[in-house]
This record gives sequence, C-alpha cells and structure tokens, in this order.
Amino acid sequence: MPDVCLYFQVHQPHRLLPYDFFRIGENATHEDVAMNAAILDKVAEKCYLPANRMFQQLIEQNHGRFRMAMSISGTLIEQLQHHRPDVLESFQKLVASGGVELLAETYYHSLAFVHSNKEFDRQVEMHLQLLEEVFSVRPRVFRNTELIYNDAIAAKAETMGFDGVIAEGVDSNLNGQSPNFLYRAPQTARIKSLLRNSRLSDDLSFRFSDPTWSEYPLTPEKFASWLAQSGGDVVNLFMDYENIGEHQWEETGIFEFWKAMPAAVDDAGLQWVTPSEGVDLYRASREYSSRYLTSWADTERDLTAWMGNVMQQEAIAKVHRLEHEILAVNDPALTHTWAKMQTSDHFYWMSTKGGTDGSVHTYFTPYPSPYDAYIYFMNVLADLQIRLRRAQDEKPPGS
Amino acid sequence: MNRLRVLKLGWEFPPLINGGLGVACLGLSQALSKHVNLTVVVPKSSPDTTFDSFSLRGLNQLAIDEISAAENQYQYESFAQTRRIPIFLNPYEITDSIPAPIPHSETTTTCPTTFSKTTRSQLDTFKIGDLYGPDLGSKVIEFSKIAAKIALLEEFDLIHAHDWMTFLAGVEVKKATGKPLVVHVHALQYDRSGAADRGWIYDIEKYGMEQADAVIPVSRYTGEIIANHYAIDPQKIHPVHNGADPVATFATRKKFPEKLVLFLGRLTSQKGPEFFLETAARVIAQNPNVRFVVAGTGEKLRPLIETGAFHGLGGHFHFTGFLNKEKVHDLLSMTDVYCMPSVSEPFGLSALEAAQFGIPAVISKQSGVAEVLKGALLADYWDVELMAQHINNLLTDSHLRAHVVEQAQLDIAASTWDAAAAKVLTIYQKISC
Repeated sequence: MPDVCLYFQVHQPHRLLPYDFFRIGENATHEDVAMNAAILDKVAEKCYLPANRMFQQLIEQNHGRFRMAMSISGTLIEQLQHHRPDVLESFQKLVASGGVELLAETYYHSLAFVHSNKEFDRQVEMHLQLLEEVFSVRPRVFRNTELIYNDAIAAKAETMGFDGVIAEGVDSNLNGQSPNFLYRAPQTARIKSLLRNSRLSDDLSFRFSDPTWSEYPLTPEKFASWLAQSGGDVVNLFMDYENIGEHQWEETGIFEFWKAMPAAVDDAGLQWVTPSEGVDLYRASREYSSRYLTSWADTERDLTAWMGNVMQQEAIAKVHRLEHEILAVNDPALTHTWAKMQTSDHFYWMSTKGGTDGSVHTYFTPYPSPYDAYIYFMNVLADLQIRLRRAQDEKPPGS
Repeated sequence: MNRLRVLKLGWEFPPLINGGLGVACLGLSQALSKHVNLTVVVPKSSPDTTFDSFSLRGLNQLAIDEISAAENQYQYESFAQTRRIPIFLNPYEITDSIPAPIPHSETTTTCPTTFSKTTRSQLDTFKIGDLYGPDLGSKVIEFSKIAAKIALLEEFDLIHAHDWMTFLAGVEVKKATGKPLVVHVHALQYDRSGAADRGWIYDIEKYGMEQADAVIPVSRYTGEIIANHYAIDPQKIHPVHNGADPVATFATRKKFPEKLVLFLGRLTSQKGPEFFLETAARVIAQNPNVRFVVAGTGEKLRPLIETGAFHGLGGHFHFTGFLNKEKVHDLLSMTDVYCMPSVSEPFGLSALEAAQFGIPAVISKQSGVAEVLKGALLADYWDVELMAQHINNLLTDSHLRAHVVEQAQLDIAASTWDAAAAKVLTIYQKISC
C-alpha cells in the first residue's frame, strides 16, 4: 500500500488598483493596499489561522506520524510580515513543530522559468533566502509556480541542487502508468519527480463540497480506503491550502474531515511521508517525460490559464522584456515593484476562458472583467516604464 | 413684422442626452428663439429644467386631459391606410374548382381610421426607460401620434423636426395642419450602418425628407448623401453647419513626458476606432514617445482591446472607458493631437470642442466638420498611412502645428449658433411665404 504525501500551496498576490489612464505618471502606489489587507484578513480568519491551529494539534497528537509539506510564496510571506505578523507567527510555529516540510519556489509565484532563466534563478534564490530568514530551513524539494513543469525544469532543479521536483501527473505523459511512483526525468542523474495524483487530489479540493457528486458526502474512512487501493509507492495529494475554509467553507465539514484524516489513514494501515522522505525512501526506476510545459491549472493542464489569449501574451511578454533595463538601474524598490508584476495571478485574471474553468478564473478575480484586468495592468506597466526612465536619467549607465 | 411661430420636434434634450443631437437642438433653439416664437416638443424632458426663451414640452410630463380635446379630430394617415380586397385564401383546403378571378376594383376604399385614443399607459412609456431602448420603434410611433394631437391645439406657422425619430411626427403634423415642414438631419442610417442598410429607419428617413418642404443637413457632406443615396431633390437641401458653445478651456501638464493623441467617441464602426488603432501602430513604430488614448465605450471596445494586444500596443494605447464631461475636459486639456477617423460623420462637434482647447485635428474626409475646420489635416478614413503621417507631422513640425491651430481659432470664431440660426431663418422665410 502506498504512503501518503500531502502538500499545500499557500499564496496571495499583490492585487493592483483599478489603475486608470489618468494615474499614469503620478508616482504613487500601484497596489490596492486596502483590498490586499482585507482579503488577507478574510483568508487568515477562515483558513490560515484555524487550519494552522488544527494541523498543529494533529501533528502533536500523532507524535510525528502525521506529516505534511507546504510551499509558501514570497509575496504572501511579505504581506504577512507587513500586515499580519501574528499569522506569520502561527506558520512559524507550525514549521517549528517538525511536522511540516517547506518547499522551494519562485519568490514572486511567477512564470519566470518560461521567460528568463536568469530571473528564475534570482527568484528561487530570493525565496530560499527568505525561508532561511523566516523559518531557518533549506528546502530539498522544488515546486514551480502552479506546478509548471517540463523536462528542462527537472534538469534545472537538479543543477540547482534539489533532490526532488513536483509536477502534475498529466495523463498524456503518464501513458497509462500510475502517478503513485517516483519518476526520473530524461537527461537527469538523480533528481526524482513527484507527480500529483490529480483524481484523488481534486476529490478533496473540488468535489468534496459538491452535493451533486456521487460520492458526496465523503468520509475520511472512505477516502483512506481509496488511498489504500490506489497502489504504487506514494500517493501525492497536492492542493491549495485555501481549500480548507476559504474555497470550501467551514460549513462544508472540511475541517472535521481533516481532523479525522490522520486516524483514518492510520486505521487503513497507511503512513504519511513528506516529499523529501518520499525521495529518500523510494527509487525512481521509471521515466516520466514531459517535452511540453504542463501545469495543474484548468482542464488543459498547460499554460493557457496565464498565456492563452493575446492580452495575457502581450502583458507577460512586456513585463519580462523590461528585465535587462530594470536590473541595470539597480534600484531595489523598482526591481521589487517590477517583479511583483510577474506574479501569475495578474495574467490568470486576464483569461477569457468560459465554462467551468472560466468560472474558477472569475471566482478569484478582483476586477469586473478580464479586459479591465488587462487595461489596469498595462497602465501600471506604462507607469513603471516612466519610473524606469526617471531612474535611468538619475543614474546614467556606467556611473 | 410678426414673429414666426415654430413648432420644433426633438428627441433628446439636455440635460437628458445620449449624443450630439440634444446638444445641437438646444444650441439652435436658444439662438432661434431670439427671432421666432418657439415651442419644442420632445418625448422626455427633465422636470427640473426650464428655458426662458422658448417653451419645452416633454410627453413624460403631459397629462392625459391636456390632449383630450384633440381626440377624434384627425385621421392618422401614415400608418392607418388599410385596403380591403375581397379575396378568401385558405392554404389547407384542397378544391378542384379554379377559384374565380378577383374582380379588379377601381374603387378600393381607404378605410378612415381615426386616431386611436391616447391612453395614460402610452404616455407613461415616456416616463421610464431609455429613449433609445428596445421599444424605440413603438416610442417613435406613439410620439408621432401624440405630437400631432398637441399640434392641433397649438398655434404655429411652421414645423421643424430633428432626425428620423421625429420625422413621422413632423409629417403627421403637416398633414393635420397643412403647415410647411422642415426636417433637420443630424445623422442618417447611412452613417450608422453603412450604405447597404435600407431597413425601416431608412424608409422613415426617406419618407420624411420626401414629405418635407426643406431639408437641413448639418453639412454639405450629409447633403450629398441625402441627394445621392436617398434621391431627395437637391433644390430643397440647404446645409447649415452646427455651432459650438464656447467652453472654459484650460491646459494641464501631463504627468508623463510622451505626446498624447486622442480619440473621443462611441466605439462603434461608424466612428472608425479600428482605423485609429491601425494609425497608432504606424505612428508608434516610428515614434515610441506617443500615447494614444481611446475615450469612450461601445460594442467595439473588447475587440479593440484584443487587437491592440495582438499588435503589442498595450502600454502605449490606452482605454479610459466612458468619461463624464469633466474628465473629457481634463483629457482635452493635455491632448496634443485630436484624431477623428470616422467612417461617416455628418458633423463631428467634438472636433470643434477639441479646437477650442487649441488642439490641432486630423479628420477623415468623410466628416462634415472638415468643411468648418479648414486647416485640419484630412485623410480618407481608411488611409491609415496618411493619417499616421499627419499625426507625425503635427507632433514634430511646430510651424505646421501653429498654422493648424491658428486657422482653427478663426474657424471656431465663425462657428456660432447665431450664425446657424440666421441661415435657418432664411430657409424658414423661403418656405413659409
């Protein structure tokens, strides 16, 4: 029977103001500080604080048998530092319990890998530093934004010194194989890829609260039996932390479910492992090749959630095109402002997809429409370029 | 000399306006009222607004007993002609016998249909909803019936109807009273939907202009369309350019160093916003230190945003959405070049407004205002290369710019509603004697 590996993504973006044309050049903040604070407060009350408290208890009660992993984005840690140090403290306490492994990612939760090797390196390094400062840990496993993954990312993570990398188990790449094994990417020597079991993960993050689902209501015992039957070495349950209490409210019984999960897993005769433990315990004898970029988003499991239409393509390309000039000015505040605009959510909100995926995009957006998201973003970008030029004038190249 | 008494039929009227029609009606009414006694009938007027020099009557404020005296006085001609032909047709009945030929009757009778009595609920339709809402057709018909009843109770010498929404009313009043009819054309279906559109609005426009004693288009450009596309006798077409009320202009320092080129208007195919975008792409390719701003909204907004992104113009090509008057003035106060690439623009008051702010204009040749702004640089609306060249020249050649602005100042000084009213007055005199 497989071990159970649990990892939660914890992230919040810096949302931009409804930045109209008349603001371009005014040299004030781009961010909707009040909205970001309000959303952070809401998510903290509904999810972060109660869920941290719950998992802290579960870890203590189970004497180390229950373990999990988290990846906390740099943009969220920063918001917590400024606005909710009490919530950050609760994360620190949770990590200090020894039951939570932290993963490495891009500081800005960006698509940097797709656009710039150098910027990707810079952001991963920044995130490692931040984790060192805030949590005093050095992750061994890397997860890229939204599980964006291909063979090159696995190889890149290996050269960066990671032992494991996380990916979506995409059916077309699995070719009928189970995601419940560790895999080797082509052109790598020792790094192991952990693949998300999308069916069992989505059972918890989407279908759990859907009364029309044939398995509703899902009990921990039933789910543990599915885990036991799923075979392989490790079953990877990867999802957003906000699924507990925010995307699925407390009334859905999601907290009760998780509270009973460790015991149910125990009773089914299964064990919990963290990603790095999985990497140490199991061999990666099979190859998993992903020539194309995949992700865990939308039905397509590709990059179309962020780069599917012309607005998204233009916006993201234009941000990254500024890299050389921005870094040359060497103004930390300006660089930070620019890098925060790389956060994937900005492009996610510009998606014009319909259907179920479209409604997920709509659920998260702070703007009236993807077109507004694009207009505001491009106005902010115009303003950023003006700031860049001012900074260049103050500091002529070579000085 | 006795003052002429004029019954004016309008549709929108300040402060309840959607576009330029209401602004023009008010400007002309105020100037005309210095010379004639004027009653303006509109479907909807604001209860808080009255004008000293003329009387404004909105059907939304009309009480049912005010027109009861006119009930049954007149047969409604335009719509009520019913011909009875003695024929029985049944598609489901199979008979072997050949039906008898229908006797040709020379004496087909026109059934006299008196006015349907106006009900309170018909009046109430003018109190609610959008003047150009989905019930526009029935509003136009109700307006013409009720306006004709009001006319029967008023004393006047001449009818002056503005745009197709009031043409039926104008014709009805003419038929009911025998007074001469002037129709004023601010915009045609040709402008809004192109030459191929010959639906019922086209029919009403043509009918109204045929029945009229004089047709006043707001430009020679529109006059030509009326003559050529609607086949109206050129002898009775008398173009009169709109005036422009003076505005308090000011200049604002931009917060950014780039030049600003402005498009202002509804984002519909008539206004040619996609040609503005094509022009912008060409200018930016040569001179990246320019920002293009599209102020306004409409069904072209989203496609335009996507096309702009496709061209990679975002960051230089901006959308403000709908702006109120104050914001429009803010924008004009920092604009360097005004661009109006309309596909067909009867007049184009906004170009005059821009000129008042000292902004040189690049205008499509298919615009009436080009006849007024003699110094403005012109190009066919589709000639985006030339349009881009004009914009580049205005941005870089200060002599050219100064010349265009100077000429525009002279042209504005001549563009008053008083001048327009004087011309309208001579047309009145020509047809009322």
